[in-house]
Amino acid sequence: MKVNEKSIDFDKDGFMLDPNLWDEVIASAIAKEEGIGDMTAEHWKVVNFIRNYWKENNIAPAVRLVCQESGLGVRQIYKLFTSGPARGACRIAGLPKPDGCV
Amino acid sequence: MINMIDTKNVMDTKKAKEILEKIINKNGSIHLNACVKCGLCGKSCHMYLSEPCVENLPMVKAQKVMALFRRYHTVLGKIMPSMVGAKSFSEDYLEELKSSVFDRCTGCGRCAINCSIGIDIASIIRIGRLILNSLGKTPQEIIKTTENQLRDGNQMSVSAAEVIDTANWLTEDLQLETKNSEFKIPVDKKGAKILYLINPREIKFFPLSLSATAAIFETSKESWTIASKFFDVTNYAFFSADNESAAKITKQVLEEAQRLEVKEIILSECGHGFRSFRWESANWIQREIKFSIRSILELILEYIEEGKIKVDKNKNSSRVTLHDPCNLVRFGGIISIQRKILSHVVSDFVEMSPNREQNFCCGGGGGMLAISENAKRRIESGKIKAEQIRATGAKVVATPCHNCADQLLELNKNYSLGVEILSISELVYNALTHLPS
Repeated sequence: MKVNEKSIDFDKDGFMLDPNLWDEVIASAIAKEEGIGDMTAEHWKVVNFIRNYWKENNIAPAVRLVCQESGLGVRQIYKLFTSGPARGACRIAGLPKPDGCV
Repeated sequence: MINMIDTKNVMDTKKAKEILEKIINKNGSIHLNACVKCGLCGKSCHMYLSEPCVENLPMVKAQKVMALFRRYHTVLGKIMPSMVGAKSFSEDYLEELKSSVFDRCTGCGRCAINCSIGIDIASIIRIGRLILNSLGKTPQEIIKTTENQLRDGNQMSVSAAEVIDTANWLTEDLQLETKNSEFKIPVDKKGAKILYLINPREIKFFPLSLSATAAIFETSKESWTIASKFFDVTNYAFFSADNESAAKITKQVLEEAQRLEVKEIILSECGHGFRSFRWESANWIQREIKFSIRSILELILEYIEEGKIKVDKNKNSSRVTLHDPCNLVRFGGIISIQRKILSHVVSDFVEMSPNREQNFCCGGGGGMLAISENAKRRIESGKIKAEQIRATGAKVVATPCHNCADQLLELNKNYSLGVEILSISELVYNALTHLPS
């Protein structure tokens, strides 16, 4: 995928191969692919929290933390990110693919 | 010539040769030349049907394993390997084998039950995984996830603190939703009757199935608990046929059950988790297991039939269809229980076709979901499942497997099915009569 003249590589599941290249323009481009036309403030709240948590802990946060930090319910998260917290929100936040049954 | 390309000097193939001798000699050699090339295995394989090439024929995949057996354990294979299609252990050949048994097979077993002469194709293919494991050639994603389980007690490396925090958080929600302040998700409760094993995905990303099961347990006044450390129903070593690690993972859970002094282990909705714990685990650890081990589905049906929970099928009025997870149904033998449950909790149920032990794999089984390299093929091979679902006109697809659920979510998106994917527990929870709608 080309974003702002930068060539970004993804794994076959669409997760960024180099998460350090992530920026908000890339996030919006992945979101488009996900069928999210415009990232709302709520989308950004979730994505930015996941991004920052991952930077500090090197692992995706549990959905409990995402809900508590964003003030959103778990069903609202699923509505915002129809592919779910992992394949949806974490992917937009530029994280590598989480391990296991995801 | 053969010795020149044989890499036994750099690769320790002793264990792999022993595997071939021990396992294939006993069961597989009868099948060695038995294939009549009827092609039925291809017609039964979702992978072949979605991409009809020779490499995707199940018997061709099994032949990749048998070619190694021929090379080292038959007279002709030893003296003139190329004449009998025998193959040596070489880096290139092992890549081919890996492609056959990991990238082009989910181990769903549908070929084996449809083989016209009864060759257990799926078991032979699984021996290929066993051989690759002994040579350190298992796909990285499966190794990494298995390591998570061995190191942290669960495949997603969820911490014990997170399990406790999530259980408390879900308990609050559950009490609000059910208007019952007594309802709880107990953690590490010593002396509970049941240890309920869950998929870490239920803590990490999709907790509604756990809340639903909790409400069912609590409504029936069950004595139960989850564990904070060894709570994982899955066993990723199953996918690599890494029996040593599979045994370790089994043991850490059994020891947890012992510490908590429970009587029974109940397994969350998980295909390979059920097959592993219920059918494979005693073989892995080489001793009898003292605990009763059952699926949550068996228990839920018992609650309904004994009147411990009351359900109203009209509370689930959308059309529902059911996906049968291969490891739970074809290999696990849990076939009618989920259907009986659904007959109590769903008013408009439609079977997809084919179903039960003839079901098609969703495309995400056998560890396929974890291996990114295969994502495109995984989605393409799920087309059959997607069309099966579409043909039912269902709005909800129920499936008693979290791994299948993830793949079905992907199929839903890629094939624009417009359905909701739910666990059986969630449908039962929706149908509980005494809870507010």
